[in-house]
Formats: sequence, structure tokens, C-alpha cells
Amino acid sequence: MDGDRRNRLATLRTDIRRLERMAGPVRGRLSLGDPRLDSALPGGGLSLGQWHEIGGEGTEAETGAAPAAFAARLAAALLARPDQRGRSAVWILRRDDLFPPGLASLGLPAERLVGVCARDEAEALGVAEDALASPGVGVVLAEVGAVDLTAGRRLQLACEARGGTGLVILRRPFGGGGATAGGTAAATCWRVAPAASAPNLGGLGLGPPRWRLRLARSRGGRSGAWLVEAAGTADEGEADVAHPLRLVAELGDRDLAAPAAFSAAG
Amino acid sequence: MLTAVSPQAAAAGLFLGQGLTDARALRPDLVLAEAEPEADARALEALADWCVRFSPAVAPDPPDGLFLDIGGVSHLWGGEAEMAADLAARLARDGLTARIAVADTAGAAWALARSPAAEGRPRILAPGKTEAQPLAPELASLSTAALRLEPVAVERLARLGLRRIGQLAGLPRGPLAKRFGVKVLLRLDQALGRAPEALAFRRPPTPWFSRLDLAEPVSAPEDLARLCRDATLRLCARLEASGRGARRFRLDFHRVDGAPVGLELGLSRPARDPDRIARLFLPRLESLDPGFGIEAVSLQAAETEVLAPGQSDLASLLEPVEGPEALAPLIDRLTARLGPRRVWRSRPLASHVPERSVRRAAALEAQAGPAGSWPAWRPRPLRLLPRPEVLEAVIALTPDEPPRQFRWRGRVHRIRLAEGPERIGAEWWRTGIEAVRTDQVRDYYRVEDQDGARLWVFRSGLHDHDRPVRWWLHGLFG
Repeated sequence: MDGDRRNRLATLRTDIRRLERMAGPVRGRLSLGDPRLDSALPGGGLSLGQWHEIGGEGTEAETGAAPAAFAARLAAALLARPDQRGRSAVWILRRDDLFPPGLASLGLPAERLVGVCARDEAEALGVAEDALASPGVGVVLAEVGAVDLTAGRRLQLACEARGGTGLVILRRPFGGGGATAGGTAAATCWRVAPAASAPNLGGLGLGPPRWRLRLARSRGGRSGAWLVEAAGTADEGEADVAHPLRLVAELGDRDLAAPAAFSAAG
Repeated sequence: MLTAVSPQAAAAGLFLGQGLTDARALRPDLVLAEAEPEADARALEALADWCVRFSPAVAPDPPDGLFLDIGGVSHLWGGEAEMAADLAARLARDGLTARIAVADTAGAAWALARSPAAEGRPRILAPGKTEAQPLAPELASLSTAALRLEPVAVERLARLGLRRIGQLAGLPRGPLAKRFGVKVLLRLDQALGRAPEALAFRRPPTPWFSRLDLAEPVSAPEDLARLCRDATLRLCARLEASGRGARRFRLDFHRVDGAPVGLELGLSRPARDPDRIARLFLPRLESLDPGFGIEAVSLQAAETEVLAPGQSDLASLLEPVEGPEALAPLIDRLTARLGPRRVWRSRPLASHVPERSVRRAAALEAQAGPAGSWPAWRPRPLRLLPRPEVLEAVIALTPDEPPRQFRWRGRVHRIRLAEGPERIGAEWWRTGIEAVRTDQVRDYYRVEDQDGARLWVFRSGLHDHDRPVRWWLHGLFG
């Protein structure tokens, strides 16, 4: 009786998840490196075969450094998976200021990255769609200002064609209007802001970078805010690319812009 | 001095090079026009461009001639005679009289075209006859002046009674060269096909050339697209029949009023699939200006390679999903749409200077040599500003402490952690060592401010009492 009820609950859950998702099949999940982070995401990890939105606040809206670093770390972890061997990452830029040695120190090697410089937003989204639907592409990172519902649905369809994963970094490098309110077709929406890091263990130099990470919206999952540290970067001397993040603390306050009034617990 | 005379004037006794007063004395009712050699040269270049519709390999031969290499293209007209007749007819339609000759070598064609018998109908020497032994009678009877020799040399030959090419050809070569110079022998060999001759063609000659003529000029975009597709189908059928694919294609639309307008396409892997090639041309057709109309379209292929059969048919089904081959169609599409400079892969370049340490390569370029990488122990930012931005109100302890506070883009940053300095100096091995100054250094610091933002700043120059140093921001870390 009990087992029967549990089975029925499980089937009901999968049915609800399938109906809720309104998207194609998920091609696997990328673990973010910490089970507490993964549990907030539906299915226990970042879903591949869909596209996700990563934005910043404040000056990051124009420079896009912290969101790009977070996205690069995720892309590096994704490309390190055995089923993505031989595939490349395509990074679509509007302003040409990406520096590959910095990407290499985040774990994304230059020989697996193709850079594209688009002339305007519409072209950037078009190229992203084209790249997502092409074979040989594992992940597409696109720097655009905003993705409206129609463009988002087209990106989703392109992801489903080949199982590529999209990471859209919201950035307005040339300034411009405010954020568009409204729905989004992304699987998850993240907001990244830099956070004060702990000095290196040896006392020399800077330790791995830290971010205040907020999961603003997640289809089929909860939202949350965390203080995380990038793991497996060149700062630490080890290249454990498969686990992108290390959790430092869970944050109660959802407002990223407020400076850290609490002490960073180790 | 007269540089050109009309047939009636020639009949009246005027000739090239005659003095003006003499000419006027002979015929007072002479009509004169000023000679404009630059305009003539420009007109010749324009005519060469126009002739591309007949063969892509056109070379102007100043002052009044053109060479066309019709090696692989005469079959499109059904034969050399038909092609020459078509060319003569089109030139006559534009009001130009031309003397046309066809031969195996440029030198022989030049000689035949300038012989008196070429006026009227084109002279065609059958293939193989140019180099035949003994010398073909058409060539042998031409005067030695037709060999493009200096007038001095022609005169010397004439003094010895050598007026015909046939006489020259019969002489032993060694004494000929010693007596009249190597150039005479070279011109003779070039005419008879024994020595090569290099001509500066507009485009290299290629047998992979397809051409379509139109009875009525068109200019609508749909018609251009249809022409593009038809030309591609024809050329790709020929490529397929011979088992080859090509990497570069050039599509030319020949306008009624002159020069062709063209599009170039470069592929990363040789292909002969007409659909794919036509689709890569289509988005750019809108940018072409058809002028008064297009009357012919030509497509030529270069860099052909042997391509195994079946690779183009099953390409869509059996595409490789891994490795660099898989990206080729995407890279081709993006390159065709955005241009080759907007799609790249980065490679390390051995340089300490950060902005010089990255080299951009074509996205599918095979990597020559071992894959280097940037040194992992030197921190480098994710974003590098194209131009470093100056920092204001910098508070830093001398001589080499990292800054404690500065203002960038109007915001104050208070630094809580810093790393450095990393000193990057001028690369003295590029210029002479005397040109290097010891204060051309940058001390880079990786700093983190109170919010956690990480910046890559540098101080340019060394501290000196009388000269303030400046601090700059060069990059941002994540």
C-alpha cells in the first residue's frame, strides 16, 4: 500500500515536471560542485540542452566581468565532460574585449574556443541560434543586452535540435536602456556580483574569486542566493575543472547590491 | 607627331610618327585630335575588365592589345572560332575594330594578330601547330618585327637579310644568341612555345569556369539568385564529373555597361554541393548593384582538390559530430555572413606584453607545431581593455607598493587585497638596445576592492622626483 502510493506519487511528479517544463528532453545535468547548490536546481544540476541567463548588476551590466567569469567556469566544466569531447565552445561578443589567457586560467582552453564578433543584437542572437543548432558545438556563450520571449523560444528550439547548451550573458557594453521586465524563456536566471575573497592559504596573493550568486528564476526549481567560490582555477594550482564552484555560505538576503554586512564564514 | 591614323588618312599617305607640319602640308583639311595616353590606358584597363566575361585570365598589353587565356573556356562557345567571332561581334557593337588571333602561345598570337592578314577575320592557328616542327607556314611567313623585338634588333636582322620568322627559326641557336643577344632568342622561344612567358593576368586562368549568357539584361534580385543557382549547378556538375571539389569560388555578374561585379567565397573544406554554395552566396546578392542590367554571369572555382565521391551527397546525414571537421559548415556560414575577421580562434604568441600575447587565427586553421599555452602562473584578466584607462586620485606608497585607493570612471575603489608587482618592460629584442629606455616599464598589480571586484592595474614608469607616475587600468578579472 505504502509502496504503491509512493510509486503513484513518483509518476505524478514526473508527469507534472514534464508538463511544467514545456521544453524538450534534457540531455544531462551539470553538477555545480556542491550538493547544496545542486539541490536548488530541478533534477539536481544545471540542465544541458537548454539555455540559461546570467546577468550582473551595477557596473557589471556594462563590463560584464563577473557574469562572464561565472559563465566561463560553467562552460569549462561542461566541456570537460566525457560526452563533450571534441566539441567546442562558441563565444559571441558585441564588444571585442575578451582576453583568452584569462579564460585559460578559468579552465577554458583557447583551442576549444571559437570567438565571433557580431555587429548588433539581432545578429548576435541569430549567430547564437545558428551555432546552437550546429554539430560540433558543445556550449554557446552569447553576450547580448536582453532576450525577449520570441528570441528566447527560438534559442530553446535551437538547443533542442542538437542538444547544445546556451549561456546568455546579459551585458550592455555600449550603455543603453534599462532591463526589460517581462517573462523569459530561459531555464534558469542567475545574477552574479563579485564578493570579497579570502586571502590565499599561504598568505601570498589573492585566493580564488568569490561571487554572490542569486538564482532569480528557475523553471521547476526554487530560487536562492549563495556565496560561492570558484574552484579549480589557476589560483589554486590544481585543475579540477569538473567541479566549478565551492559553496562558502548560503545567503539569506536576496539583495545582491548590498555590501557584505555579515562576516564571510570560512 | 601622329600617333594614330584613320584608314582614309593612311590611304592619303600619312603614317605613324609623321611630323604634324608635314602631315598638314600633305593634307590641309586634316582633322586632328589630341592624343591622351592616360585615357587610352584607362580605357584599355576597362576593356580588360569587360573581357573577363570571356575568360577570367585577361592581361592588358599596352598600348592597344589584350591577351586572353582561353585554354579551358572555349568549349563554352562551341569552339575557338565561334568564341573569336562572338568577341569580334561584341567589340564591333561597341564601335571597336579589333584584330583577333588565336594560337598556342602568347607570342605567336601576338605575331598573328599584328600581321596584315588579320584584318577582317580572326586568324586561328589550330592547336599544336604553333610548336610543330617544321614551323607552320602561317608563322614562318610573318616578319621578324612581329616577335616583339626592339626596333634596333629588327633593323640589325634586316641588314643581314633575316626578315621572316621562318628564317630565324632555322638558324643555330648559339651563334644567334651571341650575335643578336639573348632577348631575340627568348622572344623566338616564347613565340614557338619553347620557353614560358609570364603574363600579369587579372585572375589566374582556370579550367573550372562556367558562364551563362542572357538574351535580355536582368536586374531583379530573384533573377540574380536564379542565375547564381544555375551557374553553380553547371560548375558543380563538372566538378563532380571529374571527382574534384573546390575551396574558393568567385561569382561575377557582367553588367551591360562595363565592369563585372563579383562575390568571393572561401570554404574551409573543398566542396561541390551546389545547394550549399548557392546558399552561401545568396545573402550577399542584395548588396550588388546591377546597374543597367546583367547580361552574363560567370562562376569560377580555384584551389580544387580531389574529393571522394559521395561525400557531398551524404554530407547532411553522416556529418561528423566531433572534431574540427564538424565545425566546418558553421564556420563557413559565419565567415560568409560576417567576414573572415570576425570569426577566430586564439593562439598564444610568445610575448610578455599582454596585448601582444594573443594571435588570432582562422577558426579552422590546422595548428602548426605543438599547441603552446600561456604560462599558468601569471594571472591574466578575463577582459582586457583595448586602451588602458587612466586612474585618478591614486594613493600608493612609493616606490613599489600597490595602490590603496583610486578613482576609476568616477567611482572610488578602496583596495583591500593586492598582488604584484609583475614587471613587464619593453621588448628590447625587437628594436635596438640603444632605443630602449629603462623607464619604459609597467608594474602590474592584481587588486581586489572592498566589493570584491578584481582589477588589473599598472603603474607606467618608475617613480622619479620630478616626474609623477601615472596609473592605468588594463583589465578586469571575474
